[in-house]
Amino acid sequence: MQQNMYSVVEVEKFIAEGRTLLLAGEEALLRQLPKGQWIGGTIPYFITPSEGGAVSQDKIFVTDISAVTASAITSVYDQNGLGKVYTDAEGSGFSFIILPATSPAHASFALNGPNYKDFGNRPLIGWVAGVHLSDLGKATPKVFDGSSGAAYEQEAVVMHVTLPPGKSVEVGIINIFEQGDGDMLTFAADGFSCTDVMVNGVKENFAEYITRNNLDTKLPLVADYYGALVNISFQSVDPGGEVKFYAPVFTGIRYKHAKAVSNYAASFGEQLRKSNLDGQNIVFSCNCILNYLYSELEGRKTDPFVGPITFGEIAYQLLNQTLVYMEVHDI
Amino acid sequence: MSVPPKSNPRWADVVTGRKTYTLKFLAAKILLGRVVRTVSAAPTPENVRDAVDQLFAIYEKNASSPSAQEDIKIIFG
Repeated sequence: MQQNMYSVVEVEKFIAEGRTLLLAGEEALLRQLPKGQWIGGTIPYFITPSEGGAVSQDKIFVTDISAVTASAITSVYDQNGLGKVYTDAEGSGFSFIILPATSPAHASFALNGPNYKDFGNRPLIGWVAGVHLSDLGKATPKVFDGSSGAAYEQEAVVMHVTLPPGKSVEVGIINIFEQGDGDMLTFAADGFSCTDVMVNGVKENFAEYITRNNLDTKLPLVADYYGALVNISFQSVDPGGEVKFYAPVFTGIRYKHAKAVSNYAASFGEQLRKSNLDGQNIVFSCNCILNYLYSELEGRKTDPFVGPITFGEIAYQLLNQTLVYMEVHDI
Repeated sequence: MSVPPKSNPRWADVVTGRKTYTLKFLAAKILLGRVVRTVSAAPTPENVRDAVDQLFAIYEKNASSPSAQEDIKIIFG
């Protein structure tokens, strides 16, 4: 499977050859591309095969999924239509979604995705598009539908892919974080922010709790979903006021603050070993901008994974500070 | 691989939390992370049936997935 950085000219050639492509790169580059069987999202951060973590504003990260594509259709969903993402395109082998960060589609998917009709009836993987951190507030993340060439900043783009006979795909995650030994935290409402938290069942102001306990907000909250550890990353803490997150907390889910991770590479290697992945069958992967920043991944490799560095990762639902991947298997 | 019918009591054992397993299929784990708590809090026949329907559907629709197949072996032997 081909995953690498290419110039606009090289990507134009791939599109002309009729390849099916998942693209990530700067808006100015994606806007130059001809129509074809591709979808894309904006981001300038990547883990590349040659350099590891890198910022590139003149090349596009290409994931060529032609070998696992018998046919594909691309759909654009607004926040109200996203609930059909599992029921549209019946017979598809998997769906690949890209959402623009902070868009209505992003917020809607984050909050409602776990309750979509037929949740999980086929693999759903993808990422949240972003911008260079120096452009925050100046540029808007965008997603592209290559079949029309159109760019969107409010909607999600989804490629529904029918697999060739004899192929199956799996979505997985690598999460270096695990629940710490501290308090059990629950929330009274679903949302990207909160004022209060229930600490072992007792209500208190969450910002004050964080301050008093000196919680490191570079470490996420971690929920245990039947053995799958799902992170919620902190965006900001307003003393005495709101705490904001990069993904919503949900009522009924029990969270704990993550254990400290002293060495990303060592923790990553440990989780990789536990996953028994050999890397040969990986079709796509992406990792979180917060892992890139907090673990200082620039110039470092995360073999066997490469791909865009994202403002959110999607493995059926929105995740934070997590590496997401898709493998293909012969059946 | 055939997925055991919804009438198999093991499905209800899973969604009610009466039996727990170390599963591999990510979509099922995410689903169970929500429904086990919901059903445990209110284990009405309707809630159990609805949860079994959802879990069965995930495994049936993903029956070609290696991890889903492993889970079925783990749950049903």
